[in-house]
Amino acid sequence: MFLIMRYFAKLLKALASEASPSQIAGGIILGMIIGLTPVASLHNLFILILILILKVNLGMAILSFTIFSGIAYLADPLFHSFGIWLLELESMQQTWTDMYNNEWWALTKFYNTVVIGSFATAVLLCIPMFPLTQFGVLQYRKHIHEKMQKWKVIKAIKGTKFYSIYQTVSRVRG
Amino acid sequence: MRIGGIITVLVLIGLSFAASFFITSEWMENKIEYQASILNEAKVEIDELDFSFFNLHLKWNRLQVANSNNTMENTFETGPTEFSMEFWPLILRNKVIVDNVRLTGFELATERETDGYFEMPVDEYGEEVEPGFISEVVTQVSSEARKNAEVKFTDVRDDLNIDSLMAKVNIQSVDKIDSLRRGIQRNYTKWDSTFNNTSIEKEIETGRKSVESIKVDEIKDPKKAIEAIENVKKLRNQVDSLKTEAKQLKSEFDQDYGSTKDDLEQVDNWIEEDYQRALSVAKLPDLDVRNIGSALFGQNLLGDYASYLEYVAIAREYGSRFVSDEEDEIPRYEGLDYHFSDKYDWPGFWFKNIELSGRTNTDLVLSGTVTNISSSQKKTGEPVVFDLGGLDENEVSLSLNGEINYLGDDPVEKFNVYYSGFTLSEARLSGSDLLPWELKSGKGEVNVKLDIIGKRIDSRIDYLARDISFDFASAGAPKNKIETLIRDAIGSTDEIDVSALVDNVDGPLRVRVRSNVDDLFMNALRQTVSREIENARRKVEAEVQKRVAGKKEELEKFRDEKEAEIRRCYEELQAKVDDQIALVEQKREDLEEKKKELEKALKDKAAEELKKRIGIDF
Repeated sequence: MFLIMRYFAKLLKALASEASPSQIAGGIILGMIIGLTPVASLHNLFILILILILKVNLGMAILSFTIFSGIAYLADPLFHSFGIWLLELESMQQTWTDMYNNEWWALTKFYNTVVIGSFATAVLLCIPMFPLTQFGVLQYRKHIHEKMQKWKVIKAIKGTKFYSIYQTVSRVRG
Repeated sequence: MRIGGIITVLVLIGLSFAASFFITSEWMENKIEYQASILNEAKVEIDELDFSFFNLHLKWNRLQVANSNNTMENTFETGPTEFSMEFWPLILRNKVIVDNVRLTGFELATERETDGYFEMPVDEYGEEVEPGFISEVVTQVSSEARKNAEVKFTDVRDDLNIDSLMAKVNIQSVDKIDSLRRGIQRNYTKWDSTFNNTSIEKEIETGRKSVESIKVDEIKDPKKAIEAIENVKKLRNQVDSLKTEAKQLKSEFDQDYGSTKDDLEQVDNWIEEDYQRALSVAKLPDLDVRNIGSALFGQNLLGDYASYLEYVAIAREYGSRFVSDEEDEIPRYEGLDYHFSDKYDWPGFWFKNIELSGRTNTDLVLSGTVTNISSSQKKTGEPVVFDLGGLDENEVSLSLNGEINYLGDDPVEKFNVYYSGFTLSEARLSGSDLLPWELKSGKGEVNVKLDIIGKRIDSRIDYLARDISFDFASAGAPKNKIETLIRDAIGSTDEIDVSALVDNVDGPLRVRVRSNVDDLFMNALRQTVSREIENARRKVEAEVQKRVAGKKEELEKFRDEKEAEIRRCYEELQAKVDDQIALVEQKREDLEEKKKELEKALKDKAAEELKKRIGIDF
């Protein structure tokens, strides 16, 4: 419970001021790629390394992964159809064959309909998602954050003993 | 860049390498032993397995594969063995592809220190499969070997006691003939009663009375004559129907009683069966070349042959287990894999080249290669080919080569074994009582050729014993006449060659054993033993004939008498029917005559009357 609270508090804090909009947007799109595509894929190992070594917001990446995993569960049939279309594109046949015959590319399993379909979808979604998220963060800070602080729910949470302990621990940890 | 993140990634990589270094060998050993034991249905044990994750190099110090039929024995075991697996097949498709295996200390059929029983997990028991073709051949050949072992020439004796022999033989012909006689008697009684109680005679009598009641002279009116003729015609129809009835009875009798003729013909078969039974109790063998060869060497050679075939059956069984190498269908939303080339169409495992060395259980050092052992020959396009050979300091040599080819529609197994130069000193050439002596000296040579294509088998084992001399001296004096004859016969040769041929090329499986000793024995045996056997046969035949003598003739006479009686009954009946027909016909003719007469008289009278009335004379 404490960990979940802490996680949400961090998320809100990041949204409010701590992290830059680009870091938040980066976390969201990288989490989205892992969430939308099959987890046990080679490209996700690279995405994970990127999340760990780039200064993207980790919390947002986890949140994004969770949300987009759920979406992917429903969207898999669409990814499969999209993957079939991509893998059967006449103009791409030589590329796919070359990639298939190269062991390193073969490791990515891009010859699988769901893997290529979901990966291509995720990459395409990154293009609008990154600027949109940045814009969204700025709008949140400007218009929503202050109002949210006045919500009774937020006040009630801040009034609990749990929250005060968390604040104390956070201060001690720096 | 996040420094903490980089450190985390590096730590994770380091931990993975450390885990693979410390855990993989033990984990893999357990995993391989378990899966291989399931496949083998008995324990497969690996000692000191070492797996290097970095170059995918695997080695072990000892491998034991327990025999599932005898778990205190290994089907085979190996000493130190090492090989490297190809990286990409293992990583991309979880397939084990190995270019070269160095396998040393290979030994077949070794004893185990511990029981190799393996408790199969319940869900791993496959479906019961019907015995394969090769197993059926093994069963047939083993049964032939057993039969050959049972041929006992030494049971032939001069003093065949017919009385005691016949006391043991159950002569069944006499009882069967008596039973048949009772059957004929019952049949006779039935037909005798049928002919005596038939209604035909009564009906004939009634008809006769009806015919006689028609008095032709008393008929004065043509109309009455016509009426009587109609009645006679009806009577004729009745008699015809009686005739048909009588014929039907005769036909049924012929059919029923005629079958006893077939029964009588069986009497000869019954006597022959009794004779054969007496011969089998007397254990008088057929002395032909086939029996001698089989009796001498059949059991040993065919026993060996059956055990060679069992190895082939094992190979084919394992081959069939690996045939289904196809991947399971991918569930719908795990997507579909598009295979743009057949580059990764590897079999589950493929050992391209195995350099094998070891020793036989006679301590002959063996080495050679086995190539292309795989779980799917269709994928590798290569059959298993093996070529092993060895030679020891005594110049005993062994070569074993062949091919296991499952590329075509029919599985093909070809094996050639050549083993030569082994000593026959103190060896016994045959388990038969006919050759109970050990050899003083000699060298042996065995050549086995076995070709199996689908269900077609063509095989041959040639066995040659050279420079042999039998140790008759230590066996003592001959115990009987046959032994003397055999000693004389085989003492005259220093070479024995035997061939066993098993094939089904021209139809059902044939098992034949031939040897050069056949003729030697035949000549010796023909002179005396065959004559004795012939005498004994004649005695047995005469005794059987004596016991059933006259029974058949008596039965035939009885049957013929009874048949003649019934036929007499029928003929009497037939005569009565014919008389009745004649009587009716006569009556009809008389009536026709009378009718014509009356009509003429009537016509004359009418003409007279007309003449009188008109006064004209026609």
